[in-house]
Amino acid sequence: MRSLQSKLSFGLTLSLITLFTTLWFLISFSIQYLAEDYISSRLQHDAEMLIGNIQVDKTGQVKLDESSINPVYRQPYSGHYFLILSRQQNLSSRSLWDQQLQHTKLKPGEQFTQFQNGPDNQSLLVLSNGFSKQGINLTITVAEDLNPVKSNIRQFRIRFAIVAIIMLLLLVALQAYILRYSLKSLFLIRTELQALQHGEVDQLNENVPTELGPLVNEINHLLGAMEQRLRRFRDALSDLAHAIKRPLTVMQQLTDNNKNTMPDELNKGLVKQVTEINQLTDRILKRARLAGHHHSGSRFSFAHDLPELIETLKMMYRDKGITIEVVKQEEVYCPIDREDMLELLGNLIDNAYKWAKQKVKITIAVNAVLTICIEDDGPGADPQQFQSLDKRGVRLDEKTHGYGFGLSIASDMVSEYQGTLSFSTSKALGGFRVDVSLPMDTDLIHPEAT
Amino acid sequence: MRLLLAEDDQLLVTNLKKDLETAGYAVDVAENGVDAEYLGNEPIYDVAILDLGLPQRNGIEVLNNWRASGNVLPVIVLTARNAWHERVEGFKSGADDYLGKPFHVEELLARITALLHRTRQQPGGKLKVSDLELNEEEQTVTTPDGQSHSLTGTEFRLLRYLLLHPGKIISKSELTDHIYDLDSDKDSNVIEVYIRRLRQLIGADRIETRRGQGYLFKDRS
Repeated sequence: MRSLQSKLSFGLTLSLITLFTTLWFLISFSIQYLAEDYISSRLQHDAEMLIGNIQVDKTGQVKLDESSINPVYRQPYSGHYFLILSRQQNLSSRSLWDQQLQHTKLKPGEQFTQFQNGPDNQSLLVLSNGFSKQGINLTITVAEDLNPVKSNIRQFRIRFAIVAIIMLLLLVALQAYILRYSLKSLFLIRTELQALQHGEVDQLNENVPTELGPLVNEINHLLGAMEQRLRRFRDALSDLAHAIKRPLTVMQQLTDNNKNTMPDELNKGLVKQVTEINQLTDRILKRARLAGHHHSGSRFSFAHDLPELIETLKMMYRDKGITIEVVKQEEVYCPIDREDMLELLGNLIDNAYKWAKQKVKITIAVNAVLTICIEDDGPGADPQQFQSLDKRGVRLDEKTHGYGFGLSIASDMVSEYQGTLSFSTSKALGGFRVDVSLPMDTDLIHPEAT
Repeated sequence: MRLLLAEDDQLLVTNLKKDLETAGYAVDVAENGVDAEYLGNEPIYDVAILDLGLPQRNGIEVLNNWRASGNVLPVIVLTARNAWHERVEGFKSGADDYLGKPFHVEELLARITALLHRTRQQPGGKLKVSDLELNEEEQTVTTPDGQSHSLTGTEFRLLRYLLLHPGKIISKSELTDHIYDLDSDKDSNVIEVYIRRLRQLIGADRIETRRGQGYLFKDRS
């Protein structure tokens, strides 16, 4: 979908262009019309003045009192012309010099306006009126050159166009600025959503324009509800685990205590079943607890949670005196649920500690995928079994490296996050090596720049 | 060694208490978090086994309160909720060890022994002080002449307490506190009888009587 900003900019620019063009045409034509109207009314006045100065003698000769008319009619090619037609005579202004105006005779009271080319490339507005004076029909034609007015109008049009284009550009820039400013809250929300992805905040800021209020409130509400649901769900699973483990623990105690009085086969069978129920319960409950990519709850922090986990493992295995080396980037960002990640790393590092003789090494790197490599200097595993190690969900003897329960839980977690889990022999330390890679949710972390 | 068992499952408590007592611990039981916290603050316990799912006050809270008030009682956390984040939280709250349910009693006992040795800066395995070696599983003591002597329950508890506190004067009341549980009939005079019997086994000069103060186990090494 196109961005709101480009859509709005496009619409606004288009309407501004339409507006200014229409305005330009309207104003140009209005001015031309007004000018011609004004000139034709002036010509009308001149015609009336001429008729006022005409004398008709007894023979029907028409005479014009030249002294009382505007001197502009005497100046050659001045742009102001007249022509008085009677039945016998053809009287033109001196300004016409050797030229003629095209003319038609009109009956009294008739009026006719036309455009003509005049002398000296002039374009003339020609007004002809039919009069009757002292019983003689006269046609008085008056003309004025429109070129000076036209060139004024042309200049006005150009100026208007320049001003309009400047205004248009200014307005487009202004509205782009206004848009950017008003859409800033949308960008802010996008930044906040990223922060949410990163786990830096757990709610969106509700101080947004009223139009966005309902959206932000709804997102916050959903976040809260999801987190609450996950919490409740996990609590319920914890309680379930607790409830199942109680009778299991007692069963285990009873079998242990009565080892000597019950047949060996029965005892072994019971122990096996108890262990199996326990591991199955653990695996199923742990799989159910996984939050996955739902981004509620808190995120795992390599800076904070990893040292605590390692501290815990050091406490658990303090008698083995194992040294642990952690190689990671300065800031490793991890959009993965804290409890999920602790479960994954806990199981894998625990496995490494269990088998290591002296050294465990953890290497963490993140770019498009988060890769975690855990190595130890223990006995390692048979390379032929690397493929199937995590598949053996429930296995009672954990005498071989990697076999067992922790790896299958890790495998569940990794597949929940669409990652991969692979096993090999450590080149650096000679023991077992686990490689985890988890895809980061890049679409959500880095929305395409627009 | 006196042990506080904070666990609310009756059936488990009955079995576990028996096993722990057989292993030479005086066991007091707290069935809820409030009692557990109160009892754990008494200076008479050597170790506590703390279930996290206690009624009234959960185990993590109890542990946090103990540590906040400066109580350094060694604690083994016992829990059915063995997710790693809970384990991390348990250790962060100050647990010394962590055991998921269900468990084998042998494993719990091994962890208690290891924890007690660690608390007293003793190496793991058998408890060796100077030339005496105490086998905590079989409850026997091996003297320098290589002879192994089996001990009665009370003798074993008494000798273990002395061996874990070498060179320290221990009053009779401290001994009774750490050897008997709340329900036992505490007769401090009986202690003298057991001390005399221990002197016969390991040599009279090893346990010195400080009049008006108590007993002192002498570490010869």
